Amino acid sequence: MRVRVALIEFFVVFGCVSFAAAQNLNSKARVEAFAKLPDWSGMWEPDIFVGQADGQQFSEEALRKMKARSESMHPSFTPEYQAKYEAIRKSIEAAIAADPVHPPATHQPLCGSPPFPATFTPGMFEWRITPEETTFISTVGAVRHIYTDGRSHPPKDLLWPTLMGDSIGHWEGDTLVVDTIATKRRIYMGELTGFFMPMSDQLHFIERIRMVNHDAIQIDYTVEDPIALTKPIHAVYTQTRVTDFDRMLEEADCEENERDPVVNGRFSTVTH
Amino acid sequence: MKRSVAALTVVIFFSIASSALAHHSRAMFDQTKQVTLVGTVKEFQWTNPHCWIQVLVPDPNDPQASPVEWGVEMGAPVELMRKGWKPGSLNPGDKVTIIVNPLRDGQPGGLVVSVTGPDGKIIGHPAAPGSRAP
Repeated sequence: MRVRVALIEFFVVFGCVSFAAAQNLNSKARVEAFAKLPDWSGMWEPDIFVGQADGQQFSEEALRKMKARSESMHPSFTPEYQAKYEAIRKSIEAAIAADPVHPPATHQPLCGSPPFPATFTPGMFEWRITPEETTFISTVGAVRHIYTDGRSHPPKDLLWPTLMGDSIGHWEGDTLVVDTIATKRRIYMGELTGFFMPMSDQLHFIERIRMVNHDAIQIDYTVEDPIALTKPIHAVYTQTRVTDFDRMLEEADCEENERDPVVNGRFSTVTH
Repeated sequence: MKRSVAALTVVIFFSIASSALAHHSRAMFDQTKQVTLVGTVKEFQWTNPHCWIQVLVPDPNDPQASPVEWGVEMGAPVELMRKGWKPGSLNPGDKVTIIVNPLRDGQPGGLVVSVTGPDGKIIGHPAAPGSRAP
């Protein structure tokens, strides 16, 4: 009898709490907030990935786009960081010269979650937009949480470098403006060289993200770092709508069959 | 002048260094070359992070010699599926013609450009012209 009373009490309390939560989630104010948000549903991919060969070789058009973007965003480093950049560049050149047929691994395989801002590059993406947060999800495991509930970045003593950093955002009309700090203090030089360039603890990213038409989302991307850069880096990335596939399938499970391991600092290939 | 030097530096570096826009580098493969392999599928590995075909390739000049096993790399399953491939597109024993960018180090391996199946048709949608990794 006592057990039955306890169960009834539990379900009454549980039901009240659930009802209250549902009321809050579906409040008029929240529904109205949802209605003001743009619809970025669907799947997206970097525009440079269109027209690849079976080995994911890039198309001529993609190569032209990548080269033009790389040249346009070439960083203007302060003397201290220019020296660091040159040192890395020369070490890679020396490693290539020492063994041209076994290229040096300028990074580990990008399996698992690629660090921001390399999140822009491989895979297909989804954008999940709610009034409180926009979430970016990629098929290679990257997840970014961009908080749009009006919060600030945490105080400095509660921040440390993480793969995605800390992102807060707000909407200016149909443009999501994102401010990101506390990343791994490096920028991705992928389209130039495939390596990550170390930066200072002042590294700061600003993105203006907007669906420019039904089939394209544009990311206007600025990198600031007053210690490492003499002027901000600016680039534009475009994501195109995926029209030939409708499921987010994971594709970065390197444990399953990784046959291009890094051996002694160089990429190798297991042919058998 | 300074600008042109910087641009030249970028171009030179661009041409010699690897890119990281896939799961890992493709710099092991010589994208300026293509090799055509005519052989028999030993195994089709529909796996992450990338698919592979193990193919037995006889020496046309020495039919009595044992065929050489090549391991050729493709894209991720999800990307291949979008190009019209399926997990069962190839089976052991299938006669295939595979165009690859060969490994730089001379091992019997490469990066697949296209595969012609037993019916004489290219499997999947054709790539855009001139596709290669940077």
